Amino acid sequence: MKLFLTRLALAAGLAAPVLFAHADDQAKRGEYLARAADCMACHTAPGGAPFAGGLPIVSPFGTIYGTNITPSKEHGIGLYSDDEFFAALTEGKRRDGAYLYPAMPYTSYHLMPREDSDAIHAYLKSIEPIERAAPVTSLSFPFNVRLGLMGWNVLYGKALKLEPAEGKSEAWKRGQYMVEVLGHCGECHTPRGLPGAMELDKRLTGGILNGYLAPSLLATDLAARGWNEQDLATFLKHGMSAQGTMFNEMFPVFHNSTQGLSDTDLAAMATFLLGDKPPAAKALVEVPVDKLGPSALRGRQEYLNVCAGCHAAGGEGKPHIAVAMRGNTTLRLEDPRNLVRVIEDGIGEQKFSGFEHMQPMPGFAGKLSPAQLTDLINYLRQGWGGQSAELAVSDVQKLQAEAPSIEHKAH
Amino acid sequence: MANRPLQLTLNGQPVGPVDIPDDLPMIDYLHEYKNLTGSRLGCGQGICHACVVIVDNPDGTSEEVRTCITGAHYFEGKQVRTIEGHAKRDESGQVTELNPIQQRFVDEFAFQCSYCAPGFVNAATVLVEKLQRQPTVHSKLEQVIEDSLGHHVCRCTGYVRYYNATRNVLTDLGLVKEG
Repeated sequence: MKLFLTRLALAAGLAAPVLFAHADDQAKRGEYLARAADCMACHTAPGGAPFAGGLPIVSPFGTIYGTNITPSKEHGIGLYSDDEFFAALTEGKRRDGAYLYPAMPYTSYHLMPREDSDAIHAYLKSIEPIERAAPVTSLSFPFNVRLGLMGWNVLYGKALKLEPAEGKSEAWKRGQYMVEVLGHCGECHTPRGLPGAMELDKRLTGGILNGYLAPSLLATDLAARGWNEQDLATFLKHGMSAQGTMFNEMFPVFHNSTQGLSDTDLAAMATFLLGDKPPAAKALVEVPVDKLGPSALRGRQEYLNVCAGCHAAGGEGKPHIAVAMRGNTTLRLEDPRNLVRVIEDGIGEQKFSGFEHMQPMPGFAGKLSPAQLTDLINYLRQGWGGQSAELAVSDVQKLQAEAPSIEHKAH
Repeated sequence: MANRPLQLTLNGQPVGPVDIPDDLPMIDYLHEYKNLTGSRLGCGQGICHACVVIVDNPDGTSEEVRTCITGAHYFEGKQVRTIEGHAKRDESGQVTELNPIQQRFVDEFAFQCSYCAPGFVNAATVLVEKLQRQPTVHSKLEQVIEDSLGHHVCRCTGYVRYYNATRNVLTDLGLVKEG
């Protein structure tokens, strides 16, 4: 009997650390997955406690607030079982049965395997509960009727199907999961139709978010803007590369998510985006001054007047101050929307990995006339963007008019 | 780089047209072409604001513009004031009277090394003129000064004496009402 008890005690003593070790490993894995899924972005308010919610997410239907997903039983998800958490993550269903608004990207997460959901849940259960209610989302009629999402979910909730992976490399398959499911990149980089759902036949061809273009991530488009695999992985890891820096909505994605991902996963994401046989990055053909169009030639002087002080007269930029214009991916976009927005809004000071940072760029809204702005944009696009066509003032004014009416915090 | 003509009004005097490089920064134009060396080149990247000049807009408002990151040709046709343009001078060019901000900064030892002083004088001068058009009230005074001077960098005095001197000038000039 004594021997039995001793054995029992020994067994218990040995088993407990094993169990704990498993739970620790699961939570640790979940922490990484939560980072890759960028839960922090929407579930943490600026300056607020991690995962305690409160971030206002502006949508065409009204403002939706990120919820508290700490293990608080009263205000968070402390009472969720693994099943309930999985349902929230993949079906957009709350514990009380109500439907989540699809600002929660269950439309991408629905392809997440159960063990990854459980790991994320294990991690979220391991963090400090924050006993604070996030603001309640209150949309106007009819969007306040969450039951209406039942039909929406039937049509769009699980509509995303992944491209078949047959014949693809392991890196491509991992990258596909990181990009399409965990990273839910398509949620912003895909246009949305009238019911607010992703137009999946145009998946990753680019979407509009708060007046900014989340550009196309198709391999041919990326290559046309000068991207190769190595630069893409560097961009995700450090928030900057020869093609420029992350800004606007991608800046917090870099901070909360991509900078903390493994080099292997980042390389896999680049492999998936550019394909196992990536198209060659298009070389930039610079247009000499004497070949500039009339608007671009005027714009060159605008550039020398108000941009060259930081971006340099030759467009090479200044380290730790301002990015290069030469080879900048935003200039190479056919759509000039982001150029208009960045020049008008400016970009706040940006801190990157290590001691790297970029100084604030002033916004020029109201400082440049529509004609001056058009000239400047034409110069940037022709000089360093490979875009030969000159925009008309009316083209730029149209984009100016489409600026979001809300005050938008530029990064 | 090619030359192109520049014409502007500098401290009340018409200047040009004069051919200068199309990529010449305004701070270099002031220093090298006009011998107006009071505007200071500090950071050279638009942060410290030691280099600001005042541009007077046609609508009667004025604004600071950083000359280290702004090309001289940006000022084409504009009315520009530099630190050298504030004081009254006699016919020989000798200073006879500082403007109220300058005098107060001197009286209250607002600056120490003085490198940032021209920028602070310009910012505070713009503020004085703004409040002369539309006075402020006591309850907003601290914030108004912070908003106007807060982007200027000083590494000696810790700002307090600049802010106090500005507050005293504004009060003495009757630009701060009850409320």
